[in-house]
Amino acid sequence: MEDLLEDTVLIQLRINGKYHELEISPSVSLLDLLRDELNFKGTHMGCMTGHCGACTVMINGKTAKSCITLASTLSNVDITTIEGLSDEEGNLSPLQESFWNTAGFQCGYCAPGMLFLTKELLEDNPNPTDDEIKTALEGTLCRCTGYQSLIRAVKDAAENISASKS
Amino acid sequence: MGNNDENSDLYVGKSVRTLEGKGPVSGRAKYTSDFNFDGQLYAHILRSPHASADIKSIDTSAAEKISGVVKVLTGEEAAKYIDPIPHYIDPTGLGGKVATIRCLALDYVWCYGQPVAVVVAEEKRIAQYAVSKINVDYDIKDPVIDPALALREDAKPVVRDWDSNLITQLPFSNGDPEKAISSADEVIQTEVKVHRFSTQPIETRCYNAVWEAETESITLYGTVQNPHPLRNVLSKVLRMPENKIRIHAPTIGGAFGLKMHGHPEEGLMCILSKLTRRPVKWVESREECLLVGAREQVHNVELAVKKDGTITALRDNFVANTGAPSATPGWAMSFLTGLTMPGPYAVRNLDVLLSAVVTNKPGWNASRGYGKEVTAMALEISIDNAARQLGIDPLEMRCKNFIKSDQFPYDSPTGLIYDSGDYSGVLMKAAKAIDYEGWKVKQKEALKEGRYIGIGIGFELTPEGGAVPGTLVAGYDTSSVKVGPDGSVRVLTGVTSPGSGNPTGIAQIVADELGVKLDTIEVIQGDTTTCPYGFGNASGRSTIVGGGSAAKAAKKVREKIIKVAAALMEVDEKTVNLIQGNITSGDKSISLEEVCYAVYTRAYDVASVVEPPLESTATFKPGLIRHTPDENGRINPYPSYSNAGFIAITEVDIETGQTKLLKISVAHDCGKAINPILVEGQANGAISFGIGGSMSENIVFDENGRQLTNNFMDYVMPRAHDVPEILQSHHDSPNPVTYMGLKGAGEAGVGGSASAIVNSVNNALSPFGVLITDLPLTAPRVWAAIQLARKNQPQRKVA
Repeated sequence: MEDLLEDTVLIQLRINGKYHELEISPSVSLLDLLRDELNFKGTHMGCMTGHCGACTVMINGKTAKSCITLASTLSNVDITTIEGLSDEEGNLSPLQESFWNTAGFQCGYCAPGMLFLTKELLEDNPNPTDDEIKTALEGTLCRCTGYQSLIRAVKDAAENISASKS
Repeated sequence: MGNNDENSDLYVGKSVRTLEGKGPVSGRAKYTSDFNFDGQLYAHILRSPHASADIKSIDTSAAEKISGVVKVLTGEEAAKYIDPIPHYIDPTGLGGKVATIRCLALDYVWCYGQPVAVVVAEEKRIAQYAVSKINVDYDIKDPVIDPALALREDAKPVVRDWDSNLITQLPFSNGDPEKAISSADEVIQTEVKVHRFSTQPIETRCYNAVWEAETESITLYGTVQNPHPLRNVLSKVLRMPENKIRIHAPTIGGAFGLKMHGHPEEGLMCILSKLTRRPVKWVESREECLLVGAREQVHNVELAVKKDGTITALRDNFVANTGAPSATPGWAMSFLTGLTMPGPYAVRNLDVLLSAVVTNKPGWNASRGYGKEVTAMALEISIDNAARQLGIDPLEMRCKNFIKSDQFPYDSPTGLIYDSGDYSGVLMKAAKAIDYEGWKVKQKEALKEGRYIGIGIGFELTPEGGAVPGTLVAGYDTSSVKVGPDGSVRVLTGVTSPGSGNPTGIAQIVADELGVKLDTIEVIQGDTTTCPYGFGNASGRSTIVGGGSAAKAAKKVREKIIKVAAALMEVDEKTVNLIQGNITSGDKSISLEEVCYAVYTRAYDVASVVEPPLESTATFKPGLIRHTPDENGRINPYPSYSNAGFIAITEVDIETGQTKLLKISVAHDCGKAINPILVEGQANGAISFGIGGSMSENIVFDENGRQLTNNFMDYVMPRAHDVPEILQSHHDSPNPVTYMGLKGAGEAGVGGSASAIVNSVNNALSPFGVLITDLPLTAPRVWAAIQLARKNQPQRKVA
């Protein structure tokens, strides 16, 4: 019998505000850790090469592709997954409401990428131009919308978020 | 019905937000790979690294010794338990040859990536590692990759028991093309080479087969567009009756044809689950997803024309490289390419010959457009070449040759019956929206500054709602509308959604027909046990037949509610109004819930005027489809002929060959738009396919038939900056044979936009005399064409 036993690594993470201490294989991706071990199924696999962005999460407030992030390289970081965008009762954030209200998505599989890229953009630039929106969304592929409805959704989100702050 | 007024009490025509949209934005939508079950096992597939080889032996012993490996299955063992996969569309129905398609290769492999063995293990990584320990002894053969070589008499047959590499050779002919061509003012030849590009939804395929010990049955959770037809296929593969198989297709992350069935992994996961008595899951990698091909065709178009631009005949001898045989419906796209000739043009003399060829490339599956996009590309690029050679404005040339709006229903020269249309109205609308004449002026101005702007036209006819006789590709579909004692509504449909929003469109229809509020409706799809027998998602059919059948069922349920409401209020039923859940008669009113509860609870007194429960199942079977062959043996498989016109504006950097798409205008005739924002989204998505397909997406192979394109760095799909502003106009000429005149949306956009972009680039480079018809228009290809033209015509003046 050949065994695939590996050494394990101990990591400590805060995911959507909740503390986790985990013993993991050093080779596991953050995507697989989130999906398979911790049941955060909202983070999606699309390519495993970092090109499509369906696996996007935030690590310490910055977008990151979880499929090409080794979980063992992370410790004492704050991770937000798409599930962390709404509150515990399931109330959507203004950002999510905008994407839903304006038919930003079709199949919605790329939602983690589009939502986090938009969040990151609007935190820096609350009132972006179309061109700035496109640049911000470059990191995630959408195969359904031709990006037209996503740009509309980001603009709506910009308005929605500033309205909710004022 | 069908009021577009946003203030109307009706939902149809309004851009309401989707019922199913909260799941994806909150990360709670459950896609197939999100399901896991107790005792879950994982499969990994060993695929052939060779395009053509004999399998001399397979040694699985090292893989079996790895702890955590539960089962290793080879083709030889699999053949004991499962049968070959029946074809989605059997080539014999089109005069073709059939190959035996197995889930795992037996004796020899016929393409790169073909499944050879599979490992099932307790963990994904163990299965993956164990696959690397399987030793296959191959005797490598020279592959047949080029379809022209595949057709030579001395070519080795890809399928060993075939006498040639032709699946089928089919003529589409009418009139006297020979005479028209010999008497034409000019015959303009254009070779259009459409490359291999595919669907690539961001969610790849996934199947999770669960053995149900209690009932000795299998439940397959899968990325499946057509659950009921797949159940039929699997019953044959697995040698089990259909009532022992349940297919459940949950939320789908885009399909575009990829998730139509016949894939080996469907049956494999089921048999592995049956053998191990545990759930077995396989998630397709992107590399595996890119194996699935489509569209590669070479057209040799000859247009017989008069000097004034009238096309008098079309000849096109075309070859489709469909790759190795597959049970999926991909290969038959090439049939549709021929059948849809000559598209929107009133050309009666036709001589089209399809040669559908097998080679040692991986096989095709259905791809948005389903072959009709290639018809558009071959026609539109050829017509532009003709307009250029005749010195006629390409817009004028098209309008001159279009079928006129008073000629419908129109009998096409291939036997189709086009329901309705206003093609020149559509194209002129697209031209007006983008200011076609204005761009001509801007183009001249730019040229003075040494900038090369192009204006390109494309048009496409996309027959929708297809029905192929003798197959489970049906023209009709069925829905059930069920209202509970509390007045809440469930709609169960035989159609499915790939993520397009059709459940919401169907709910809007039901809300209006039944007279209830939209948010009281749940639409349930994709489950063979709960939903009515149906044919799923394909061919832009879901709202036509899903919506049409749900409307019929809702009307019947409404009648019952009105009758019982009248009895309860003691009024004449003709005086009862039911809208948005409010039931009134004069100044009397009653709640919907009270009426519904009475139907279930007072069946022997006041509600005895109707038959309980408040449920109805109805089928919508659109007209116009004709499966009884005419005197020429021709059928019309479509009830509906969506169409769209496109204008694309590009700018080409002649130093680098880089093309920038500046703007694109589309006018789209899909009949009534139930939810305009969702319909627009369909067209925008299809246009994005056309942009990628014409400019960057390309699946390439080395000379040994090994696929070189295996990730999203090599397969370049449009990102946000690659898609410019899309100007979209709707042009509604209703279909007389469908509910509310629906025609189907979703496919129109691919071929029309791709053609408009190619024509635009060629138009930009017309000062050099460049005509690129070998796609895609990648920068190196465009640059090379400019260099070649400059070398050949160094003295040519720029206009």
